[in-house]
Formats: sequence, C-alpha cells, structure tokens
Amino acid sequence: MTQFIQALVLGVLIGGIYALMASGLTLIFGVLRIINIAQGAFLILVATFTWWLWRTIGIDPILAAVITTPLMFGLGWVTYRFVISRIKGQSPSMSVLLTFGLALVIEGVLNVTVGNRFRSASPSYFEESFSIGGILLPKAQTYGFLAAIVVLGGLYVVLTRTWTGRAIRATSQNPSAAALVGIGATATAALAFALGSASAGVGGSILSTLYPFFPASHYDWISRLLGIVVLGGMGSLPGALIGALILGLAETLTATYGGLQWSTLVFYLVIMVVLLVRPQGLFGARIREDVAV
Amino acid sequence: MTWIKNLPRKHLIAGVVLVLLILYPVINPWQPYPQGVLLLAFLLAVQATSWNIVSGYAGYISLGHSMFLGLGSYTAAIIALHTGINPLWAAPVGGVTAVIIAVGIGWIVLRTRGHAFVIITIALLLASQIVATNWKPLTNGSDGITLELPFWDNDFQNIPFYYMFLVLLVLTVLFSAWIARTKFGTGLVAIREDEGKAAAIGVNTTIFKILAYGASAFFIGIAGGVYAYFQTFLNPVGSFAILGSVLIVLSALVGGRGSLYGPVLGAFIVQFINEGATVWGGGASARVLLFGGILVLVVLFLPAGLLPAFEKAWRKRHPVATEFTNQVGALSHNTAVVRERLEPVADATSSPLLEVKGATKRFGGLTAVDHADLTVQRGTITALIGPNGSGKTTLFNLVTGTMAADGGEVWFDGRRVDKLQPWTRGHLGLGRTFQITRLFKEMTVLQNVVAPLPDSRPRTIFANASSGSEAQRAKDLLDIVGLGSFARQRAGDLSYGQQKLVELAQVLMLEPKLILLDEPAGGVNPSLLGRLTEVIRELNRSGVTFLVVEHNIPLVLDLCDPVYVFARGRSIAHGPPSQIREDPVVLDAYLGDDWRPTTVATSERG
Repeated sequence: MTQFIQALVLGVLIGGIYALMASGLTLIFGVLRIINIAQGAFLILVATFTWWLWRTIGIDPILAAVITTPLMFGLGWVTYRFVISRIKGQSPSMSVLLTFGLALVIEGVLNVTVGNRFRSASPSYFEESFSIGGILLPKAQTYGFLAAIVVLGGLYVVLTRTWTGRAIRATSQNPSAAALVGIGATATAALAFALGSASAGVGGSILSTLYPFFPASHYDWISRLLGIVVLGGMGSLPGALIGALILGLAETLTATYGGLQWSTLVFYLVIMVVLLVRPQGLFGARIREDVAV
Repeated sequence: MTWIKNLPRKHLIAGVVLVLLILYPVINPWQPYPQGVLLLAFLLAVQATSWNIVSGYAGYISLGHSMFLGLGSYTAAIIALHTGINPLWAAPVGGVTAVIIAVGIGWIVLRTRGHAFVIITIALLLASQIVATNWKPLTNGSDGITLELPFWDNDFQNIPFYYMFLVLLVLTVLFSAWIARTKFGTGLVAIREDEGKAAAIGVNTTIFKILAYGASAFFIGIAGGVYAYFQTFLNPVGSFAILGSVLIVLSALVGGRGSLYGPVLGAFIVQFINEGATVWGGGASARVLLFGGILVLVVLFLPAGLLPAFEKAWRKRHPVATEFTNQVGALSHNTAVVRERLEPVADATSSPLLEVKGATKRFGGLTAVDHADLTVQRGTITALIGPNGSGKTTLFNLVTGTMAADGGEVWFDGRRVDKLQPWTRGHLGLGRTFQITRLFKEMTVLQNVVAPLPDSRPRTIFANASSGSEAQRAKDLLDIVGLGSFARQRAGDLSYGQQKLVELAQVLMLEPKLILLDEPAGGVNPSLLGRLTEVIRELNRSGVTFLVVEHNIPLVLDLCDPVYVFARGRSIAHGPPSQIREDPVVLDAYLGDDWRPTTVATSERG
C-alpha cells in the first residue's frame, strides 16, 4: 500500500512538472493554431544552459529559472516576429514543418557547440528527500513541482485577470474580431508565443536536475508533451493539466509495477485508448465544420 | 512517333532519366560508390513518393514515416532469421505489415480532422524504437539482427540492389500516378483543400484518409525488407531514426509536395547533399544542423517546392489567353439532363422526399433552429426564405450533416438520416451548395466537378478522373453552366459568380435527388441568372427536387412553389407564393413594425 501511495505521490509531482511544460505548447496552439514542435528543443536548450550556469557559476538549477525564463520569453518573441510570422496565412502543416526545422537547428547547434553527450545538473539536495509518514518526497521533484505550480498559477492569473490575457484569449477565439476591437493580432500572437516559450524556461531548468539529457532528447520530450496535449484535447489548458497528471501517474505506476522501459509505451497506449473512445481527446471540442475558413 | 510528341513534357523527361539510370551500371559497371549513392537515392525517392500520397495529396503531414522502413526491415529480418528463407522473399510481407500497422493507427487517429495525426506519427516512431529495443526475444534488443550476406557473387557488387530499388521506385511512382488519376486521388486533394466540403460531396473522408495512409506505407515496407538485406544488419536506433523521417519530409518538400515527380527530384537532391555532408566532414550532429537549416529555409522561401515553382515560372513565360464565361454557349446549350442513379428510386413515392421534424440546434445560449418542421415534396422547387439569422443555413447544415442536431429528426427518401455521416447522405442523393462558395481552390475547375462521389462502390472511387466517362460527364456539366472553356483553370482564379456556377455543376455530379441551394443567385449576373433558373427548371422537370434559400424575392416567387418562411429558427408560414406574398405574419417577420403605413398604402392601391 505504501508503495502504491508512494507511486501516486511521485506521479502527481512529475505530473505537475509535465503540466507546466505542456501548458506552453497548448497555449501556443490555442492562440496561434501552431503546433510548436520546437518546444522540446527549447526545453533541452534551457536545460543545457542551466547546466552550464550551475557548473560554472554554481547557481541552483531550479532557481536559475529566474534567469532562463525572461531569456526564453525574449527568444520566443524574436522567433515569432522574425521566423514564424512569415508563414502566417499558410496552411497549418507548414508551421509544423517550420517548427520541426527549428527543433533540428537547435539540436544541431547544441551538438556542435556543447557536444553530443548526457548531462544532468546534480545540486547538493539531488539525492535527498523529505519524509512524511513513510512517504518519500524527493527534494528536487518537490521543488520542481512547487515552481511549476507557482508558474502555472501566474500564467492563469495573467490569462484571466489582465488586459493582456483577455487580448490573448480574444485572439484565440476570433482573431479578426479581436483585430477589429483594437487588439493588434501580430503583437498578441508574438506575446502568446513568447509566454509559451517562457514556460519552457522554467520547465527546462527543472528538467536539468530531474532527468539526464542530451541534444537529441528533445524528441522524447516533444512526443511526451504532444501526447499530453492530444490526450487532454488540443488547445485546452485544463485538458493539458489532466493529460499531464495521467502521464505522470502512468509513468510512475508502470515503473513501480512493470518496468521503467515500458512506461512511455504505456502512456501512448492510454492515448490510443482515449482516442478510440473520444477522437477529439478528453477536453477537446470538435472543430466546427460549418464555417468556411 | 506522334505519341511521343503528345506525351506531356514531364513524362518524357522522366522516361529519358529512367533509361539513363537503367543503362548506368551497364555503361559504368566497376564503380560501386556512385551506384551506392544512387541506390540510396532510389530508396529515399521510394519513401518520399509514398509519403506524398498521404502528406502531399491528402495534406496530413507524417513526421514519422521512416517507421515503415524499420517495420519492413524488422519483419523481413525476423522472418528470415526464424525460417531461414532469404530476406528478399520476406520483403513483401514487410510491406503488408507496414500497411496493417498504418491502417490500424489510421483507424484510431484519422477519424477526426486536425492535428492529432502529425503528433501521433512522431510518437509512434519513438514507440517503435522502444518496442524494438525491449522486445528482446523477437528483435534481439539493442544488439540488433545480423543477416546472411547476399547470395550472389561478390563481382556483382551492389548492382542487383541497384536494380531492385530502381524497380521499386518505378512501381511506387506508377502507383502514385495511378492514385492521382483516380477519383480517390481527387478526393484526397479535396480533403487537403477543404475537408468539410469534401464530406458534403460524398467523399468518405475517414476511409479515404486511412486508405491513403495505408497506401503510403506499402512500398516503404517492401523497400525496408530489401534494405535490411542490403545492410545485412539492423538495430532499433538505426531502423527507427528520426533523421530518416527528416530526409523523407525534406525530399518531398524541396521537390514539391503534392506533385508526382517532385518528391523523386527532391530525394535525389537531398541524397546528394547528404552524401556531400558525409564526404566533406561533419558527422551525424552537423547533418542535423544542415538539414534543419534547409528545412527552415525551404518552408520560408520555397514552400511550394522546386517543381511547382518551376512550372509556375514556365506558365508565366508561356501565358495562355484568358477566357471568359461562354455566355452564348451557356445560353444556347442543350437541355440539362440528369443521369439515372444506380439504385431504383424508392417506391414510396407518396411520402415526402425530405421531412424535418422538430429539428433543434443551439449555439451556447442562442437557439438557431428551434423545433423546426419542414417538408419537401417530390418534384417541387421549394423555397426557404426569412430574415438574416433566422436559421435557414443552419437548417441546411442539419439536413446535410455538416452539423449535428441537438434534437429532432430528419427523414430523407423514407430513411431517417440525422445520425448518418454527411457523405452517406450524399450517397443517398442529397446534394448542396454553400452560401459562400467552397470550391477546392488549388484544383482545376474540371477536377472540382469530377470530385463528387455518388456512391461508395470501389468501382466509383477508383474510376479514372482525368479521362473517360467521369471526366466527360464533368465537361458536359461545365458546358451546361457555360464554363466549359475554364476546365483546366485553377478554381481559385475564377470570379465569385463563376465559382457559384462551378459549385452547381459540382453538386450535379453527385446525381442528387434533392439539391439544397444556398443563395444560388448571389453574385451571378442577370443574363446568367436567367440561365440558372432555366437549368433549375430543366433539372426539376427531369425529376430533381430543389430546396432553395434565396433573398431575391422576385426570383423565389417566380421559381418556387411552395414557399416556407423562417423566423427565429422555425417555420412561421408556408404555402404557394401568391399566398405568402399577402401573409401579414410574413411581412411582419421580414419588415418589422415599420412596414404598416407603406404596405397599407400599397394594398389599397392593389
């Protein structure tokens, strides 16, 4: 029983972190209808940078998010303004190919500059745990989870309580009407993309302590995150939260009772089963087919 | 030799290149290196051409297509290992395995529109790698499988493989060309252009997408089996490498996705770049950067790809004279006739053709259609009029299945249809046009008209779309609406009014019993409008029933009987036009309270 609860607790901790990582992806999709395949590469980029900060200056990897988040916000903004906005109005599949290309470029740059090998930031608390009634809470996971919750909460407040957030939500629902009431579509889109990228700032810093990574790890990460988004329903933030929790639990439960190597596979199976029953995902809306685009 | 002259230039060039490639090992037999480079280019071209079927024609991008190469390789290798037969004999089984997996996956993720497909394809590639690594009894895990060396004499080098891959490439291109010529291929392009509209003209979008995905896996699977034998060794990381997928996507994109020869051309270019990267330094890591950079640049600056861009430039330098609507031709054309539908007309002739009972549709708090009833008798031209926002188009959407109703029933030709898919309703004989025309803009006018499928028989789906009886029928229909000379033009280049006429010809291709026309007169010039009403009358005389939404009231009163009036989501009056014209309820709904003084004056005069 303790083993089961332990697995549940770990699953929730990991799930929270996955939720943070997936939130950026789902935000970008919700507003821009762009599947940002480069989100995984953003994570690895940040993780590598965080590792470097920790190694050379000794900054705590999770605290490094304070530095990496604004940097990623800026990088996301620049990426949108100078690259992605160029293909506005083309079919959505082009954006998939473009961001896929960006992901490869980031992977290639990391390969060439820092080399193709495994890394992991291991601060002093790396192997320590809190113990509550026999249940172990690994410190790194706990700090990561708390950081994720704080950022997710902040994101929620920005989206629901500020003018900027309303502008983003308006643009996601009806871009042309939003433009008519004075919301600059390009500026809002760039902002949404930047916010989505910024979430990879926090996510990547957390990742660097929890998992060993190397440049090509971004494929694993993006397919996990995309899996979460598909499972929850494309573009739905609550869907991404639930999807992330399911992934976290599927992984820890499979690792506890089956084998670690099957954990990702079990998650993909869950996705397939859900899609069999609900083709649009858990919280996804079917695309309205009556309006000509 | 005239047949050579008549051959399109691109096929001629392709033929010459093929002959050269066939002769190459004979002319230059002692050069294993260039042969090796070429045969890998053939392999890549097989994959890119196959990818093009689902991602180019149908527009559903797959980022994990190299999975099928790995599946084919593993199938052939495992069979060879356990039975002792030569892997080449097992290669076709690899193709079958790839198709089975593709159809199974497609059946799960291709039922909806949208983006789940591309995401699942990446995940699947990684998942197959995990399975191949961990299912040790079957795949030997990460140690991989070693196969026997080729049975032929060393002197032949790789020449047999060279020809095997070349034959596979020719077969794949022929297969892709055949698909492009059939109505199946036209339907795939229709899905890429406008999936909802494709469903409305009888294209079973789910089955089409699944078939396309399966078809795109077959030759890659076979090639995988041959490739395993060529390499004599395979392991999970090499067989399910994402870089393989990158090369496939890049090839098709560089050459021109959606075109027949584009992926082949692209594959040769990409393979030569790949080889150059190997020769001039740069391991796998630099290659990722190189191909990523090329992918970004191609998407930004050459999104259509080389071949289509070249064709466009060619057309610009060799312009064709612009043609206009053949009004005279249209006005003097023979009577519009309908082809007999396949199944005999149901004998329940006494029952109404279309019956809507209590149909309801809500959008959040707004009830657009509110327990609406409507009956269309066989052989009538029934009108549906009403103020903007009264729910007419929404009712159309409920009848044709473009939207699901929240309540009520729709009966068509003695069958309840409100739970059926849009294309099934199309196959029963229910056709529609759209208020804002929805043609497939990148297709030619003729392809647009050929695309509809009146039934779901394989014979119809795989009928030739570019010549033969279907194309002839489409040309006749275009002549009827006066646009015969536009057959080869891109549909998106036509004016709005012309597009309306093409859409009418398109819906006629469906051989419908009932046609729902959503504002057919909007944007059509008066003389053509005369022709349009004439066509409607002619079709009606030969047995087609119409339900027309139209704001041109004189036209409605002239053409239609009976007339239904909609307001606030339900029918408020119906009857012959003369009666509707006088109905105070109708005038009130249309004009509000302000009409009273003026109409009192007019009625006094009358």
